[in-house]
Amino acid sequence: MTRSVIDPITRIEGHLRVEMEVEAGKVTDAWVSGGCYRGMEHVVEKRRPEDAAHIVQRICGVCPVSHAHASSIAAEKAYGITIPNNARIIRNMLEGAQFLHSNILWFYNLAALDYVNPINGLSADPDGALALAKAAGTSTNTDFVALQARLKKFADNGQLSIFSGNWFDADGGEAYKLTPEADLLLTAHYLEGLQMQSKASEIAGLLGGKMPHVMTLIPGGTAFVPTEQKLDDLKMLIKDLKAWCDATLLQDTVALAPFYTDALEFGKGCGRYIAWGVFEGPQWPYDNDYTKQMANRYMPSGVLDELLNLSEPDESMITEYVGSSWYKGSETYQSPYFITDGEFTSYDVTDRYTWVKAPAYGGKPYEAGSMARILAAYQRKNSTIVKMVDQLLADTGLTLTQAQSTLGRTAIRQVETVYIAELMEQWCDELIEAVKGGDSAYFETPKTTTGAGTGFWEAPRGALYHSEKVTNGQIDGYQIIIPSTWNLAPKNDKGEKGPLEQALIGTPVETIDKPINALRTVHSFDPCTACAVHVTEPKTGKHFETVTSPWGVK
Amino acid sequence: MAHLAHYREAHPLPFVITHWINLVCMFLLIFTGFCIHYPFFPFFMSMARGIHVFCGFVIFINCVVRIIMAFFVKAAPTGGTREQEVDIKMWLPQKDNRHQALEWVKYYLFLRKTHPLGGKLGVPQKISYLLIPFLLIIMFFTGICLWPPLANTGLCLALLNLVGGPMSMRIIHFFLMFVFIIFCFIHLYLANVEGFEPTKLMLFRKEHGGLTYDPKKHVIDGEDLMGHGEEAAAEPAAQAEAAEEAVA
Amino acid sequence: MRNNTQSFDFELALDARGVSRRSFMKLCGAVAVAAGLGEAAAPRVAQALEESVIGAKTGSLYPVIWIEGASCTGCTESFAQVDTPDPATVVLEMLSLNYSETLSAAAGESMELAKEQTIHAGNYLLVYEGAILEGWGGQALRVADKPGTEHLIEAAESANAVVALGSCAVNGGWMGANPNSAGALGVQQFLEKNGIKTPVINIPGCPANPEWLVSVLVDVVMMGKMPELNGEGKPAGIFNQTIHDNCERRGHFENGEFVYEFGTKEEALGYCLYPLGCRGPQTNSNCGVTLWNHGRSWCVKSGAPCVGCCEAAPNDPGHNWVEVNTPFRSRHRDLRVAGITFQPEQPAYILTAVVAGALVIHGFGMKVSGRMDGGAPFEKVRRWDAKHPNKSIGDYGNIETAVAAQEALDESLKSKKGGNK
Repeated sequence: MTRSVIDPITRIEGHLRVEMEVEAGKVTDAWVSGGCYRGMEHVVEKRRPEDAAHIVQRICGVCPVSHAHASSIAAEKAYGITIPNNARIIRNMLEGAQFLHSNILWFYNLAALDYVNPINGLSADPDGALALAKAAGTSTNTDFVALQARLKKFADNGQLSIFSGNWFDADGGEAYKLTPEADLLLTAHYLEGLQMQSKASEIAGLLGGKMPHVMTLIPGGTAFVPTEQKLDDLKMLIKDLKAWCDATLLQDTVALAPFYTDALEFGKGCGRYIAWGVFEGPQWPYDNDYTKQMANRYMPSGVLDELLNLSEPDESMITEYVGSSWYKGSETYQSPYFITDGEFTSYDVTDRYTWVKAPAYGGKPYEAGSMARILAAYQRKNSTIVKMVDQLLADTGLTLTQAQSTLGRTAIRQVETVYIAELMEQWCDELIEAVKGGDSAYFETPKTTTGAGTGFWEAPRGALYHSEKVTNGQIDGYQIIIPSTWNLAPKNDKGEKGPLEQALIGTPVETIDKPINALRTVHSFDPCTACAVHVTEPKTGKHFETVTSPWGVK
Repeated sequence: MAHLAHYREAHPLPFVITHWINLVCMFLLIFTGFCIHYPFFPFFMSMARGIHVFCGFVIFINCVVRIIMAFFVKAAPTGGTREQEVDIKMWLPQKDNRHQALEWVKYYLFLRKTHPLGGKLGVPQKISYLLIPFLLIIMFFTGICLWPPLANTGLCLALLNLVGGPMSMRIIHFFLMFVFIIFCFIHLYLANVEGFEPTKLMLFRKEHGGLTYDPKKHVIDGEDLMGHGEEAAAEPAAQAEAAEEAVA
Repeated sequence: MRNNTQSFDFELALDARGVSRRSFMKLCGAVAVAAGLGEAAAPRVAQALEESVIGAKTGSLYPVIWIEGASCTGCTESFAQVDTPDPATVVLEMLSLNYSETLSAAAGESMELAKEQTIHAGNYLLVYEGAILEGWGGQALRVADKPGTEHLIEAAESANAVVALGSCAVNGGWMGANPNSAGALGVQQFLEKNGIKTPVINIPGCPANPEWLVSVLVDVVMMGKMPELNGEGKPAGIFNQTIHDNCERRGHFENGEFVYEFGTKEEALGYCLYPLGCRGPQTNSNCGVTLWNHGRSWCVKSGAPCVGCCEAAPNDPGHNWVEVNTPFRSRHRDLRVAGITFQPEQPAYILTAVVAGALVIHGFGMKVSGRMDGGAPFEKVRRWDAKHPNKSIGDYGNIETAVAAQEALDESLKSKKGGNK
């Protein structure tokens, strides 16, 4: 019995620690610990919903748009307003740009280094890399000879830069299985991916002012008003990005997967999936029928049990348990208002060991993320998704059950990316048509300043929930449940482990201080730890300190 | 008519000039200040900003000059006399005003029928006039901290950090403007509510007769009608007599 | 501090690196024993192993440690959007980014090792992103089984300079906003508190614009000097001007052409966003010049009023951009007194109106009491003088008569006052 610890987990957002009990080369128990507490819900208290939409974005620099979106939806529900159709399209595109950015960055620049060894590409034959690319049908925008020369110059200098302390030698040098040619090809796409995520962000920047932390997504609609100058930029950026995604993402996935089929054997997790749905649907609005609205999103909602049976989400089924986390008490609280205050005790895997709380749906942990969205869309028979998933399964020779694994979770996200790139193009045309048709409504003012609302939405990492109570235009209770809170949850009140903890159990570990397969499993969830940690407050707000200085906290 | 005679010696020419400068600048500053705060007048912003900054410097320099002049320009220590003393003495506590602070308050709250005796400035008036130069200087520096060409220099940065940044400085500047507005309201009201003679003297050096005051004895010692109508003059005298009779 | 040969004494090495490296040293010991060198040779083995972790200790690339504190990774994300040079060029041809939680290939212990070695080798730059959290003795932020505060101290002590990247690193950012439950503060203040003298370059912004970071890197890495800093330790060339100074919509401001509601025709015309609460006039930064995302846009260009995210006073977490600028849509920040929040205009206008009203009412009183024509008659004798004839201020002539007259007057006043009421 040995303990293997990865702390810090890198190439994620935030601070995450994974501790595993390893027996006979396999993980037998695991504890996932989120390392940072910041107190977001405290900060938005007594501020305006319009402010909150800007502030809550700062939870996460990777998925700020989703937080602004969920917060705005919550405010709009509280205000009793429906955003205009143009605002819906613009906001979908802003969200879509962020998804493209996040998914591309995650695949090529965060997760890829678990599978690709760029240094190994030095010994590749550039012609072989080109042949491989052609055989895989993937894009060949990079000059492989020049790339190799660039890598050689870097290697000759001797400083390892971002490759310092790499795990390329893990598992006795057997962990990285690509041929030098495949390594060179995917290193080329690592660098292209870096540019493409940036191009996706540029779309978000065009629509939102800047990315990360967009400015135009506000309760009531959007501050962005398209002009001809902005529309043609938008159309061309989307066209370029879509072309690259179409030509590269799934092809690379299919090329990579055969080298790592062992990663199909572990990392399943809890096998239950939850998605609130994202990208408001085309029959907007849905007449205050929230369930219908969520079910008709381009990526629809769905709660999937172990047998992948789909049911509609129900807010009252959501609970959070704090007994394994550094908060006062050991209660399970029911949505939408929880009472908790942070209180660090000590890191003790037999008691409390994380800043992340344990959310549950119907008392059980659920996995959120791309996998959950794809499965929900698949079960709802979304024709594009069904076609693409079936094609991917056929190309890789897998079944849907096998796809519920570390490699499957890693691969299936590309389906979503390509789907969204296609939607982006549709939305852009839809917006141009709407503007051409004379629709010039982008913003709706509040009908009331007192109310309560919940924003069910999705971040790239999964189901996102913001709820707020507003009294006379001021927030009087705010609560957030973030996708990674679902995935990184600690042990719940019934002793069931969180989805990532469950996924880690059974993962093979050969080198105790470089457990590469565990890292692959963690990355397959695309965790976002800073987001995951949050506090919640009662609607009374009475737990807040009264600040007597009119200038606020000193 | 019971006021003291309004002699030019109360407001020598240099002070009339500084008062005029204050008046014009104050009006322009408040007006352009509102224009800057609510910048909705088209085509006036740069002019408003220019006037505001210019008047800000002028009123500050004027304030400094006025303070310096107080040390050597002479003015009458009270109304109703042509004798003069160095002006700074009127800024400091005067014997004429001793024990009269509460009486002034009572007078303005209608708790007493007669007008308290005092120096050139009544006690509340003296306190507020003493505060004004300080407020002007503070106001000037809050303004300078908000003025881009100087906002990033050492002193301004230190002041900005002291109060919590440009937003807080702006709020202080904004609040202080209301202090000046309120001061102007009260000043205008009190200067004119008992007749326009003080204003005519202050602004146009127009004298007017009334009771005379002996600054050495600190008492009213007679009357100087300066050729006003006999009837008008007789009236207060008759009143005084009647009062004395009533007392007797 | 940890330079040169002697520090490789076993005890010192252990001590300097702390318990987190225990297993590594154990491994080194095991390797040493296996190689027949004996337990005492472990430090030398450690050094030998260490050299291979970050590669060459010197070279054409400038070593950089990039630590994420209590951050949202937004500043790293922002860095990934840098236009010139592109991020790959920065990490392959300009810097040796030996430690970056978001970009490094390493993870876990080997990651921490890369950092330790970089610190040991010296001559590096520290980029710190996110706030420092002092809550629960620093345990509000835990990395590698240690409080985040310790990581900063270790890395900052021997750095050539620390770049506090983003408003959170400058003064705690939004985490410093009321009620600051995690105990957030900025790098400069934290280092001062802990007696660390390493110079700090503050680059505020939420996130910090990557072009600003690159301009600082050009100064430090290519020109070998510190950028010119203003009184708050921010690069003067970037932060000594307001958004308003360089705003593309400034002309409309001067013309009085404004957007009064989101999503209107005025927005399409590019009018000024001031009435929607734009913080441009009091926010120091050159966003409108540098622009964002490959120069594609910036907040104002997209139709969003500035929220003042660059506002950050390095030594005061309470003076952060959220606390200072909310509500973003109002002209002023909200003031908080005894839990009530309000806009400064409200008390100002209310007080002024009350005073004006009081004066009008007082004017009626003056009219009724007949004081409008020259005021009430003067007192013959000061009241105080009447009560203290020996210390009398005024020289009234026959004082006894005067006092008697005054007392009589008082009597008559009292009776009249009673009648009036």
